[in-house]
Amino acid sequence: MAWVTTFWRLLGFLRPYRRTVIYSLVFAWGAMVMTVAIPWLVGQTVDAIDPQDGVTDRDAVLPLVLAITGAGILRLGLTVVRRLIAGRVSVAVEFDLRERIYQHLQALELGFFDTQQTGQLMSRATVDLQGIRFFLGYGLIFLTQNALTLTLAAVVMFAIQPLLAALALLPVPFVVASAMRFNRLSRPALQEVQQRIAELTAEAEESISGIRIVKAFAREEHMLERFRLAVSRVFDQNVFSTRLRAFYSPLLGFLPSLGLAVVLLVGGNQVINGRITLGDFTVFYTYMLMLIGPMRMLGMALGMAQRAVASGNRMFEILDREPRVASPEGAPELPPGAGSIRFRDVSLRYDGGAPSLEEIDLEVPAGRTVALVGPTGSGKTSLVALIARLYDPSEGQVMVDGADIRSVRVDSLRHQIAFVADESFLFSTTVAENIAYAKPEATPEEIELAARRAQAHDFISALPDGYETLIGERGLTLSGGQRQRVAIARALVADPRILILDDATSSVDATTEAEIKRGLRAAMAGRTTFVVAHRLSTISLADEIVVLDQGRIVDTGSHSELLERCPLYSEIAEHGLADKVFLQHDLEEREEVARL
Amino acid sequence: MSDRARRRRDQDRDSVTELDPETQHSDVAEETEDQANQPGRFAGTLLMFRDVWRLIRGEDQRARKVKWMLGLVGPYRRQVVAMFVVLILATAAALAPPYLAGLAIDEGINKQDPQMLTAVVIAFLISAGLYWAATYAQTYLVGWVGQRALQDLRQRIYTHLQSMSIGFFTRRKPGVLISRMTNDVQALDSLVTDGVVTLFSSTLTLAGVVAILLLLDVPLALVTFLTFPLLAVASVGFRIASAGAYRATREKIANITAYLQETLSGVRVVRSFAQEGRHIERMTELNEENREANMRTVYLNAAYFPAVELLSAIGTAVILLYGGYQVLDGNIQIGVMIAFVGYLNQFFDPIQQISQLYTTYQQGMAALDKIFDLLDTAPDMIDKPGALDPGEIRGDLRLEDVSFSYSGSEPWALKQIDLTVPAGQTVALVGETGAGKSTLAKLVARFYDPQRGRLLVDGHDLRDLEARALRRQLGIVPQEGFLFSGSIRENIAFGRPSADPEEIRAAARVVGADTFIDRLPGGLDTEVGERGTQLSAGQRQLVAFARALMAEPRILILDEATSNVDVRTERTIERGLERLLAGRTAIVIAHRLSTIRRAGRIVVLEHGEIVESGTHDELIEAGGRYADLYGDWASQQAA
Repeated sequence: MAWVTTFWRLLGFLRPYRRTVIYSLVFAWGAMVMTVAIPWLVGQTVDAIDPQDGVTDRDAVLPLVLAITGAGILRLGLTVVRRLIAGRVSVAVEFDLRERIYQHLQALELGFFDTQQTGQLMSRATVDLQGIRFFLGYGLIFLTQNALTLTLAAVVMFAIQPLLAALALLPVPFVVASAMRFNRLSRPALQEVQQRIAELTAEAEESISGIRIVKAFAREEHMLERFRLAVSRVFDQNVFSTRLRAFYSPLLGFLPSLGLAVVLLVGGNQVINGRITLGDFTVFYTYMLMLIGPMRMLGMALGMAQRAVASGNRMFEILDREPRVASPEGAPELPPGAGSIRFRDVSLRYDGGAPSLEEIDLEVPAGRTVALVGPTGSGKTSLVALIARLYDPSEGQVMVDGADIRSVRVDSLRHQIAFVADESFLFSTTVAENIAYAKPEATPEEIELAARRAQAHDFISALPDGYETLIGERGLTLSGGQRQRVAIARALVADPRILILDDATSSVDATTEAEIKRGLRAAMAGRTTFVVAHRLSTISLADEIVVLDQGRIVDTGSHSELLERCPLYSEIAEHGLADKVFLQHDLEEREEVARL
Repeated sequence: MSDRARRRRDQDRDSVTELDPETQHSDVAEETEDQANQPGRFAGTLLMFRDVWRLIRGEDQRARKVKWMLGLVGPYRRQVVAMFVVLILATAAALAPPYLAGLAIDEGINKQDPQMLTAVVIAFLISAGLYWAATYAQTYLVGWVGQRALQDLRQRIYTHLQSMSIGFFTRRKPGVLISRMTNDVQALDSLVTDGVVTLFSSTLTLAGVVAILLLLDVPLALVTFLTFPLLAVASVGFRIASAGAYRATREKIANITAYLQETLSGVRVVRSFAQEGRHIERMTELNEENREANMRTVYLNAAYFPAVELLSAIGTAVILLYGGYQVLDGNIQIGVMIAFVGYLNQFFDPIQQISQLYTTYQQGMAALDKIFDLLDTAPDMIDKPGALDPGEIRGDLRLEDVSFSYSGSEPWALKQIDLTVPAGQTVALVGETGAGKSTLAKLVARFYDPQRGRLLVDGHDLRDLEARALRRQLGIVPQEGFLFSGSIRENIAFGRPSADPEEIRAAARVVGADTFIDRLPGGLDTEVGERGTQLSAGQRQLVAFARALMAEPRILILDEATSNVDVRTERTIERGLERLLAGRTAIVIAHRLSTIRRAGRIVVLEHGEIVESGTHDELIEAGGRYADLYGDWASQQAA
């Protein structure tokens, strides 16, 4: 069965800690023996003092009580050691799992992430990981520990009086089954509560971000109605999950009481009939009280195991997915060169869909600047992604400096290429670290030089901590234009053979753009550059323009040549590129305006 | 953006805050902003008692707040009364078994009386059944009442927020406001449902056990109580120490989640610069910190829980030793002693639970303070008494000597603006960053009132009009076409709720949105996603046009989008815009030359002042600021 395989594979994560796990089991069992011994000792004490059977043994009381205390202390020692060992294993397993999955995610190619939702991946690496870790860290020990407790107690009880033992233990399977069922039902119910709270949060967020629209259209009641709906969805689910808890939680208290009642009635009569002593009776009674916990825990641990297997299945799905873009074994570095690029009959299909690129043949000598122009979805971005081997072509070959890029080490290729993307993604760290992203050992001088070239130095110097200003989620929010300039500086620090600018100057104002252009011209010198362009001014940087439509190259040439002979180009040039943005719309104004 | 990220992080944090199975420890995430001004923890415990005392005396602000909170459950007082009745029943039923067991031994077994034994067992079963039923009812009622009250509270906060002015939303971070309705209400939830019930049922149980033990045998009871202070001190100490340790683990795991989120969102950048190695290293560091934080909780738990077990064993031993001699000496019956052993564990639980309350109480109170802080903020732009409903307006707009600043004093965002816009004219606002274009638009929408001068619509001062009546005749098209989640149909109808399907279709057609809508698989019923993100920027823009058209506004305020769209979409937008503006008074923050050229008048703003105004040709002719800007742009295009 599939779950058995998953289960064994999960246990495999414990392999490095085999010995520790065994120790912790031994200690757990030792502690359990003490736990089981205490009620038995209590029973002995009761027998010693019970006057009903005619014999009392005053001298036995003190040693027995000391034995109970001793057992308690011994149990303390065993449990403390057990908890320390098991805790260490649990935390270590969590650590290992997270390292493993993160390293694997970092090894997977970009195409994998296109097909996955970030939220789903997050959930694998957090929620599922947690489920597995709890089971391997605690659940497994609970399972054996509680099963052992039940067995030991049952053995003692059967040894004293089999009939009474059988009757008293009758509710045990029901308690375990109910606890398991409760665990199984309540988990998804609680997750659904979380889900609905997330929806409520999204609703609140949307109506607060859109408050200007709401007020402008005077639709407050409508939005309140929407919010009310989200709130009552949370309420309904909360009540549902409360009802589950209200039913099962006291049920798990009630069922063991039946066992207690049996002990009182049947056991009591047996004492009256003289078949067992009052001490035996006390042993039974105390065991039944004591077993309530282990019964529930056993069910809970079994529930955890079920969940861990489900989580394991989802996680192995990712871990078993082999990286598809990887360097061949012992691949050489990218040979030295100046960055000449050649596409040989290249086609690209994402996951069997319609082709994004078809039969691309393109040769770019080192040092040239090529502008890619075309409508949305014409394949401009796909084409530049192939150069860095972010994807592998479905057919054909991409060569950089004479080498098929699939035959060289991926990182050596990528170190020679720098991207400035459309939406500049920066990490939440300092400005300097972002600029030095591709070259962590860059000196402050190098960083500043790159920033100056990208026209970013002036605004960076004006930031509260200059280059050491934290940006992103926990720091300062930069405007689109500022982010873009930092991204350009980041690409310049990498000192690549090949530079790829994907509509990189779309969100800066005319003046700044002119400045960046000057910087870019300097930076582009001696490098092969691809520009994915939407504006005439960007196209003007290029030596050559490639027009793409529906994944194919329709024409290649200079601006004036293309205007003359390429209808698509002239349409784009006249309507798509020129009459776009008249005046500047930068920085605060842009942020302010965006909120209107 | 950062608020969204933060919300996502909070959710992730919630979803990973599972019960630690070994300790059953779970408490809601608290915000770090409170921790800075928290007093020392021991002092905090004292403060809690002081707070409770003041509450009783009714001296504190918090007394008002708690009273107000009790008001929230007011509508459900019958359920609350029922809740307390079943709570008492459940507690009593839980207390009966050890006593009954003792009774069974002494009166049934030891007196050799099977009938008595049977009777006691029946009573035992009845109490067990009662426990189940009463606990069911109690859990259900507590959950129901608590959730109802919180549902009401959420709506009250929401309604309050809606009554606030736009200025208020500009000053406050959206993330914080959202948190009031979600995280803070959640923290109150723990206080109301867990806190109150634990307090009552644990106190009741404890009192019950103490009373029963004292009734059974005073000396033995006093001996048993010896374990009491030890347990209490250990539990309170553990809770205080572990609160910090658990908070640390939550912070560490939140860091990991945030980092994971970031590197997954930025995976393209990571791959293209081949920097996987450094992220793996950083993750290992974070992972290491998380391991250390978790180990602290392991140490604490390893110290506390076994100690409690030991205390229980010692308690049993003490009862057996002292009680045993008492039995031997004939002072008490053996069943009484066995009942004591049974009760011992019953007062261990409530003490452990009460010790947990401190954290819940503190978090709940902090949340309550924050919620009150919000509810106590009075709406700042409400209609004047006797405000006028202007009826249908023509759309004549006049600004007379208007000055405005966001801070209320220098520097002025707008200075002495005089502008008359006859009904039906389109005015294009042009100017540099910070020139005051969007401020002017906001004043027309009455998101703010000017400090000096006045704005007139059809000759009425905006401040004399009913805000909502005015806004119904006002259309706004924001820059990026902000849409709400729901279908395209719902979004268009947002402008006029009474619209029938034909009208919606017609509006879409007029602005040219029908072409792309018809191509979507769901047509008008296609879901646009949160903030409309399922649509492209151009499509959002068109839907926003249709929405504005639906409202049939007399005055339109439009902030032109600047994002890059497809060539064809670009043309559709131009045409749609033209139709939308036709015949309406319009204030346009313009970016497209085509829009500016078509405007009836161009107003050039600089440093909050109008420097030029006229048509495109007039202004080019005049050779002023506008001509300069146009020249810059033209040369840029030619470059």
